Amino acid sequence: MRMSIDVGGTFTDLMVDEPGRAATMFKSPTTYPDPIGGILGAIELAAQARGVGVEALLGETEILFHSTTRAINAVITGNAARTALLATEGHPDILLIREGGRTDPFNYRVPYPAPYIPRALTFEVPGRIWADGRVHKPLDEAAVLAIIAELKANKVEAVAVALIWSIVNPAHEERVAELLEEHLPGVPYTLSHRLNPTVREYRRTSSCAIDASLKPIMSDYLRTLKARLEGRGLKGQIFAVTSQGGLVDVADLAERPILALNSGPAMAPVAGRFFAEAEGARTAIVTDAGGTTYDVSLVREGALPWTRETWLGPIYQGNLTGFPSVDVKSVGAGGGSIARVDAAGLLHVGPESAGSTPGPVCYGRGGTRPTVTDAAVVLGYIDPAFFLGGQMSLGREAAREAIAREVAGPLGIGVEEAALSVLDLATESMVHAIEDITVKQGIDPEETAMIGGGGAAGINAVLIARRLRCDTVIFPDVGAALSAAGAMMSELTTEFARTAFMKTTAFDREKANAIIAELAAQAQGFFAKAGPHARDKRIDFSIEGRYPSQVWEIDVPLRGDGFAREADVAALIADFHARHTELFSFRDDGDAIEIMSWRALARCRLSDPTSIRLAQEGAVADSTRRPMYFRETGLTEAPAYRLEHMAEGEEIAGPAIVDSNFTTIVVNPGARAVRRPGGHLVVRSAA
Amino acid sequence: MNVQTQTHTAPLASGVKLAIMQKRFDGVTRKMANTLLRTARSGVINTARDFSCALVTADCELLTAADSYPIHVIGGADLMARAMLDIHPDLKRGDAFLHNSPYHGNSHAADHTILVPVFDDDDVHRFTVVAKAHQADCGNSLPTTYMGNARDVYEEGALIFPAVKVQSDYTDNRDIINMCMMRIRVPEQWRGDYLAMLGAARIGEREIMRMGAELGWEALSEHARQWFDMTERQMVEIISTIASGSARGTCTHDPLPGTPAGGIPANADVTVDAANGMITVDLTDNIDCLPVGVNLSHACARTAALVGVLNSLPRPVTPNAGSLRRIEVKLRENCCVGIPRHPHSTSVATTNLGDRVSNAVQLAMAAIDPKVGMAEGGAALPPAAGVISGHDPRNGHAFVNEVILAAGGGPGTPVEDGWLSLFCMGNAGMPFYDSVEIDEMLHPMMIETRKILTDSEGAGAHRGAPGIVTAFRPIDCDFELGFCSDGTVNPSLGTRGGGDARPARQYLESDAGEITEMTTSEHVHVRRDQRVVSMTNGGGGYGDALTRDPHRVARDVEEGWISPARARDVYRVALTPDGVVDEAATAALRAG
Repeated sequence: MRMSIDVGGTFTDLMVDEPGRAATMFKSPTTYPDPIGGILGAIELAAQARGVGVEALLGETEILFHSTTRAINAVITGNAARTALLATEGHPDILLIREGGRTDPFNYRVPYPAPYIPRALTFEVPGRIWADGRVHKPLDEAAVLAIIAELKANKVEAVAVALIWSIVNPAHEERVAELLEEHLPGVPYTLSHRLNPTVREYRRTSSCAIDASLKPIMSDYLRTLKARLEGRGLKGQIFAVTSQGGLVDVADLAERPILALNSGPAMAPVAGRFFAEAEGARTAIVTDAGGTTYDVSLVREGALPWTRETWLGPIYQGNLTGFPSVDVKSVGAGGGSIARVDAAGLLHVGPESAGSTPGPVCYGRGGTRPTVTDAAVVLGYIDPAFFLGGQMSLGREAAREAIAREVAGPLGIGVEEAALSVLDLATESMVHAIEDITVKQGIDPEETAMIGGGGAAGINAVLIARRLRCDTVIFPDVGAALSAAGAMMSELTTEFARTAFMKTTAFDREKANAIIAELAAQAQGFFAKAGPHARDKRIDFSIEGRYPSQVWEIDVPLRGDGFAREADVAALIADFHARHTELFSFRDDGDAIEIMSWRALARCRLSDPTSIRLAQEGAVADSTRRPMYFRETGLTEAPAYRLEHMAEGEEIAGPAIVDSNFTTIVVNPGARAVRRPGGHLVVRSAA
Repeated sequence: MNVQTQTHTAPLASGVKLAIMQKRFDGVTRKMANTLLRTARSGVINTARDFSCALVTADCELLTAADSYPIHVIGGADLMARAMLDIHPDLKRGDAFLHNSPYHGNSHAADHTILVPVFDDDDVHRFTVVAKAHQADCGNSLPTTYMGNARDVYEEGALIFPAVKVQSDYTDNRDIINMCMMRIRVPEQWRGDYLAMLGAARIGEREIMRMGAELGWEALSEHARQWFDMTERQMVEIISTIASGSARGTCTHDPLPGTPAGGIPANADVTVDAANGMITVDLTDNIDCLPVGVNLSHACARTAALVGVLNSLPRPVTPNAGSLRRIEVKLRENCCVGIPRHPHSTSVATTNLGDRVSNAVQLAMAAIDPKVGMAEGGAALPPAAGVISGHDPRNGHAFVNEVILAAGGGPGTPVEDGWLSLFCMGNAGMPFYDSVEIDEMLHPMMIETRKILTDSEGAGAHRGAPGIVTAFRPIDCDFELGFCSDGTVNPSLGTRGGGDARPARQYLESDAGEITEMTTSEHVHVRRDQRVVSMTNGGGGYGDALTRDPHRVARDVEEGWISPARARDVYRVALTPDGVVDEAATAALRAG
């Protein structure tokens, strides 16, 4: 049996899966300050549902997956450890100056952002290494000891050590570590070259600082989690979800907690990829529509999207993690996004959100400003009597009044037209976010499938798909808990990289093959550590390359696992030119290609990739009809179906609604929907 | 004009469609920008991001310049497109034009621009896409793109291309490429950057063609007309919230050889007419063109004035042909901040005197209404943003490139402190600052220091950002350094009682301790036993320092931005030994 736990800000989601049985989902409130109480609460619910005790359930659990927003929340709320930065002498402002850059050129009313570690806790270490690894000025150990004395006096709880060119010559960072071990025992530290051996000192320093600041809270938490679950009978392994969409052993995560920073959203594309492949789509846009944000990511040729630039907070104003992660873009557009008309008569939707308190007007909790959810209620898409499976009833009249007052009136149009406009504008923000991740990579959304995840996805997913000319929208039945499901489906992965410059005009096949062999050996070592459950082992090789004096590389996969013949080199060169043209519309055939690094992505599974699906309630023809409003039809009576009651293969035509306990899916006029054997709903948008 | 009436005469529901379609146009320039950044060869483009992308309509009206440096395109993209039409009335699909002439609407000679006209299916010219990038070299007589002391365009030496057709039928005119390869230093680097600019322009063309096919060409053109009207209404509404009045702002560029001894004053006479929704900037009462490289081009004079106004507004407005109808800029022929007469040099038009114009407008706006305007921002192009050149001993290759390590700090505003990494007003903080490691990898140099300068800010209720001190040196070789800064003699000014920033300072320091001071604009040989020290000019303060929130002062002291002595003497804030505000003692200090 496998168990997946996703500790969110509000709820702890638990999914239990056992071969041969339907998966089950449970939600329990997240507890503060000790989230383990909430985890045990969810496990108790699962145990009750099976009629067994917690010990029995945990005793049967072979693998437990765990993801949490604990790390990211600590960073956002400023509750990470009191951390000091040891930087190279002359460069105390790496975290303050960042890499420059600014958005909104005419808005000087935004404060300049504080550095992740204040200057007051930043210390300059005398000693300098240059680009070729040469020691330009030796490390001043007496000065380091004096700094350590100050760290003690300042009661720092963690130390980040990030020196210039430590990636070329780590001697100074290593020596500082020895001195810290000796003179500041028990205080965790992070060395930049060990954590994130990448060039560009800001990125490396920033990741080092964030990682160190998480060590005290995450290491303790993970240790306690393991001890308490084992105390209640768990014998299996615990794997933690990473921001890279993979899994690591919890012990490894305690050493590098930054790996888990963005772990929640990273799982959505993992689950999305699974459902896309079930429909035969290799490239998919995965969307996760929540209350305040809309997260989008792109699965391309079955691969998860990666980025080396992950900002915590707004771009250029927040802090760059300096670490690769699954590339998930968020825009401030969700069910709670507020609609307003400005003085010049321009409609805006979001990024301001009503959140869960007071929430949309229709919740009746004091909200007065209309939201996207209110628009969907006004248009008859969401059944006010059956929201969240009937747990909550909504006020349609209040929503209508708010849309009339705040949108329809100022625009001089009807209420329904106003509500449609709100959805249109929210749709456009979402389309923009999707275009940002697709077109930038040279992907035409027309050639992809879209995955509609998150509770608010169904309201306008068809409209989004039509704008993108994307024909297929897939709504997984576990869509409302896409992350927890994703963890169950994800692979154990680690990437191994070797930085070694090679120009294609002087390609050394022997050296290249030696690098590949070294990476392959590292990958095999990783497979051996993964334990007896590891299967489906795979290594994908790629290079990062560029034309001479470009500074941003592009990834090009190798067709095989080495360069046995000259033809293999020619193939790589051809693939590079083709990829560059695909991304940027031109190629430079006459020029050489500079390979900067070589990569091997090792992946394996911990169990068979079985389908995760919820129990079915059996086909029942129980559709009802209710009034709803579409631009094409005006006010019309249209059928509403229950997803759990639809038969496999049953096809319906829009206009229609498909309701489930978790979400509402709008099938617009002209679109068609069918329930598939996997339990998910596929909508043809007729783009 | 009655603003309310104006607002209600338009078909307002179109606000939705307009917003949607404009996002798609903005997306086109963003795709172009991404291509330029990722594929360019020179550091000034692929690391510092010194480039801009814009779209103009067939009748040369600016539709979008999303994510662009203000000085590059706000008031110049239209002029460049117009010059292309005037010189080439017979445009065809597949044409591309190389344009860098400051006498035909471009900013300055180092900004190479690719213009591509976009045609509909009936071969009607609908839009023009503009991709502009600052080159690492443009063939000047010295290895720098900023010839501050050039007496004319001949001494400046750049190849000038007044909208020259560089592609027909999507194919290069090799003659032009060959000319550039013979004149521009490190020619392969230039050729790579040319490919990147052309790639960006062709991406923009492709995207607009797709939009035309999908939405209809008439709809695209109609959108532009309506969008202009909509943003004009927004502008009228915002101007109506400002006090009416007139004021003159004056900011003065440091003297250069051949200029008046006190420097080059820039006078901006600004009038706000709130009732009629108009702001006028008159730059005609200024001296004639000078025999130096800092004269403004037509595009930069106009844009600098527009930037000063846009920076000063109480709410940000998107600049385009519609909103800009509400700002009138009066310029004079043969004026150093007007329309230059050939062959006067405009080599440094995008930063120095342009910034002084923007700053003068900001000061005038602050004088008219204390809720708007700003103090003066710090100067661009100190040695920390100079052009270095030489031969790399590691591989024997020649190099020339502008490093972007640091420049001016941001000015205080009515509501907030200055932005630290401003660079300069015309670039609006958008350049990326170089990575120390990347610079050391690409060039034989070591950056020994880069940190903020304590106590260098213009004090104020909202203080300016401090300056930054940078020290760098050649490694295993000598190199040349060219720069044309400002703010050494005339630091950035505070306003409404705010203090001035500390002036910039730059010098060479040898390992033996010998110090050689440098003036505002120099081209120097840096020996291997010397370091360049560049202390940049921060921003001026806004409002009386004695009214600054004492807790902000305490935080500045704790973080080392200002010293305890400055807190006490300038801000009159008393702190306890723990660094906490002593409220009673502060009140006493401020009362005295």
